[in-house]
Amino acid sequence: MKILRKTLFRLIFILPLIGLASSLHAQSDPTGESPATRTFAITNATIIQAPGKMMEEATIVITDGLITAIGKNVNIPSDAEVLDGTDMFIYPGFIDGMANTGADRPESPERPDNLFTPDPPNYYAGITPENQVVEQIKVDENSIEAMRKVGFTISHTVPYGRMLPGSGALILLRDADHPDKLILSEGSSLYSQFSGAPGAYPGNTLGIMAKFRNLYRNAELSKSHSELYASNPTGIARPTRDRVSEAFYPVIEKKQPIFYNASNSLEARRAMRLQKELGFNLVLGNLQEGWDLADEIKSTGTKVFMSLELPKEPKDSKEEDKSDEVKRLEERRMEFYKKYVTQYAQLQQAGIKFGFSSIDARANDLKNNLLTIIENGLSEDEALAALTTNAAALLGISNMAGTLDEGKIGNLVVSKGPYFDKESQIKYVFVDGVKYEYDLKTGARKAEDGEANPAGMQALIGTWSYEFTTPQGTQTGKMIFTNESGMLSGIMTSSDGTPDVDLQNISFLNNELTFDFSIDAGGQSIDIVVEGVVDGTSYEAEASVAAFNVSFPIQATKDEA
Amino acid sequence: MIKTSSLFILFLCVSALHAQTKKGDVLIKNGTVITITDGTLENTDVLVRNGKIDRIGKNLKAPNGVEEVDATGKFVMPGIIDAHSHIAGTSINEGTSQVTAEVSMEDVVDPLDVSIYRALAGGVTSIHLMHGSANVIGGQNETLKLRWGSTNPDDLRFEGAPRTIKFALGENPTRGGRSRGIQPQSRMGVEAMLRNTFSDAVKYRDAWNEYRSNKSSRKVAPEYSLRMETMVDILEGEVLVHCHSYRADEIYMLMKVFSDFGIERLTFQHANEAYKVAPELAEFGASASVFADWWAYKLEVYYSTAYNAAILTKNGVNTSINSDSGELIRHLFHEAAKTQKYGDLSDNEALALITLNPAKQLGIDNRVGSLEKGKDADIAIFDSHPLSIYAVPQMTFVDGVKYFDIENDVADQRIYIDPESTVENVQIFYADDHDKCMEGANVVNFYDLFNNK
Repeated sequence: MKILRKTLFRLIFILPLIGLASSLHAQSDPTGESPATRTFAITNATIIQAPGKMMEEATIVITDGLITAIGKNVNIPSDAEVLDGTDMFIYPGFIDGMANTGADRPESPERPDNLFTPDPPNYYAGITPENQVVEQIKVDENSIEAMRKVGFTISHTVPYGRMLPGSGALILLRDADHPDKLILSEGSSLYSQFSGAPGAYPGNTLGIMAKFRNLYRNAELSKSHSELYASNPTGIARPTRDRVSEAFYPVIEKKQPIFYNASNSLEARRAMRLQKELGFNLVLGNLQEGWDLADEIKSTGTKVFMSLELPKEPKDSKEEDKSDEVKRLEERRMEFYKKYVTQYAQLQQAGIKFGFSSIDARANDLKNNLLTIIENGLSEDEALAALTTNAAALLGISNMAGTLDEGKIGNLVVSKGPYFDKESQIKYVFVDGVKYEYDLKTGARKAEDGEANPAGMQALIGTWSYEFTTPQGTQTGKMIFTNESGMLSGIMTSSDGTPDVDLQNISFLNNELTFDFSIDAGGQSIDIVVEGVVDGTSYEAEASVAAFNVSFPIQATKDEA
Repeated sequence: MIKTSSLFILFLCVSALHAQTKKGDVLIKNGTVITITDGTLENTDVLVRNGKIDRIGKNLKAPNGVEEVDATGKFVMPGIIDAHSHIAGTSINEGTSQVTAEVSMEDVVDPLDVSIYRALAGGVTSIHLMHGSANVIGGQNETLKLRWGSTNPDDLRFEGAPRTIKFALGENPTRGGRSRGIQPQSRMGVEAMLRNTFSDAVKYRDAWNEYRSNKSSRKVAPEYSLRMETMVDILEGEVLVHCHSYRADEIYMLMKVFSDFGIERLTFQHANEAYKVAPELAEFGASASVFADWWAYKLEVYYSTAYNAAILTKNGVNTSINSDSGELIRHLFHEAAKTQKYGDLSDNEALALITLNPAKQLGIDNRVGSLEKGKDADIAIFDSHPLSIYAVPQMTFVDGVKYFDIENDVADQRIYIDPESTVENVQIFYADDHDKCMEGANVVNFYDLFNNK
């Protein structure tokens, strides 16, 4: 009877209150897009609370943005939306250690008239450490959804720019009506890169290294000066406001690390050289060549976010009568490919607890790259740790993210099948307790059987005449797309007589056509990513070159068959 | 106490740094040993212990475990030193400003540059990696030992070598000035810029000296400038100046400027017209590092002669012959030999141009440049006399470690390989290599980038 009374009591007194609360909610949301409930329960799922800590047939409850219960015998709140977790594997939401996710790339600053190249204005030199990334964040930036779709829930987002673009922030990859609402914490890093100002000081690595030291030393002096003045201004020259120096103060106090975008081994060593000289806390982000650096990383106490970008696996020439020299060169190239893909396991063995950074990678490549890294020696648990617990620890948010524990932010990845299986697909991603649901694809398998040749593909197949517009003029040629047993394949020809290039990673979905290709520029391979929309027989796209941080338009029209 | 412990830590760091570079032991038997400082010794052995020359003499016995190299019929000489090189650097010019004394080539050393191995195959053991000549006061240079195979730039540093800096006169820095619409646009502007910058450095030094001698606890430091710090170090003789120059008038101008500011250690690089002011150079005590016979690649380099090195040598100017090129560096011994056709220098004088003399110009002659007991075992072995046109380098040692051996000359010497590179497009040599001085001074050209030709 007691229980019944209690229940009745609840029905009478509490439910109306809840109703009131929700009707209040409804009033402030005339669009009606607010979720019906902010309580979710996923039942009967395999839950990986943390790397190596798995629970089967378990339930997780998320209430008002937080994980509120997890386990086998969990009371499901009456207002919960219950999701069947059969065959589902639940992981802590992934954390990206360094990315531009959510940030909108600003226009490159225009070259001022009468630029005094030895001492350009700071905005042109790219020395704006006082800026905050939140100023660049757009809530409708495509990259937020692109990264969320592949399981990322928190991004350490750094601003676009040159040498010192500003400070980074941790953002939640959720929907919001204002960038402020995405912010988990600001000032997570002072972001630095080896990007010089075009035709002005500092123009390249030489100037950047020197300028960095100069800025840092002056910031130290400026800090003592301001402190002296603050303690008693009498008789002390008034310090002039210097926001560039001020931006370094938390770094000097070791309250904020410097995140250096150091993709190659020489850049990483340069960043560590600055760290040794100046003594700040250093995090290397986007490291792509770390196999020779384990000792130095450990001895300097540097933290690392390894890049999730991998080189393409080299393909040996199929010519039958290739020379021994070509064979040897191909072997060495493969030997180095292996260094790139095995370095993760090697650094892990050396005791370096790294996270991952997606800044140079494409969202759609991330899972494949992770699987490649796992094939080459990193265990699934170690990979998961890099995606979750390591990243949280490196970013100082272990008390709110990185594992599935009561009280942590409701950031989850729910995949059908174990995530690290090639065939698994993400069904839900929860960010900050908000549910995002994805359709499970069944088409992929059918295409393999040759049953369904996606009808849309026909719209693309054929020859297209394209035109690149670069600052130096236009380049024209043909793009030829073919259907190779259900898979799209393509080549690009050039009317200036240069050799044809193969198009890679061709994706054509909902009229969005993306692909990439590499060209050889002076012995260096440059990757170009093309993304755009097909409208009937016309294609409008943008080609971007990540290596140089530039993009330019490309148009194409389909030739008459 | 704090001071002591930080010194101790510094000591640990320094010893750790030293421990990283390899030191070798070897006994080179029965060669013709060209010492440079003590004549040429027939049928002589050189014993190397722990990277240093331990003994030079006859019938030396190899201590236990020390490898023996038979040099019978071969010529053993000090490793060649190139006083002007732009290999092994990822950037060469910070040409955006006409004074960049704060930048340093030590930040951009590229241990992965295969040109290092090619230089070793030409008997070279040390190079002076120089900043380019796009600006009047360029960056600091870095003296390197060619310890090929390491991926750590610090392993290549010539530990203990004095700091040096690049200056440039004439067409290159004025071309940069004119293209950017900044000073200097003429040779007059170059001199004015030099004098102004040194005067600023004097003021900067005074300001900091005053601050340091101020006993007040409530003092405010002047602005710090890494650029001016370096200029002050030049004034105080801690940084040796190597100045790109061609014409006699500008060479003379710089000596006057340096006399006015009391700077003594000065080497003119290229210095094609140095022969016109050879006595003046000798009187000042300035050195010259020249090409054997390369000129006429721009207007200021027409009034040149292949006798330049010989005339300078005969006038008592410490002279070296340099490469400024990833190609010439492979046969500097040929370049030195040209002074025997043009100027009749003796064997020893000619070889000193690529060994002891450049060592003096870089301030490392106490360590390298000749074969003497106690010096570093940086050694090149040739199959015939190195001044012979038929000479082929056989082995090259740095610190007693063999980095080149013609008998074991692996074709693909690359240390890092881009997995996305194409195997077909192996580039062994590129045509623009000759004027690397101006590399990086121009903005990236997108046409070239996308033209793929």
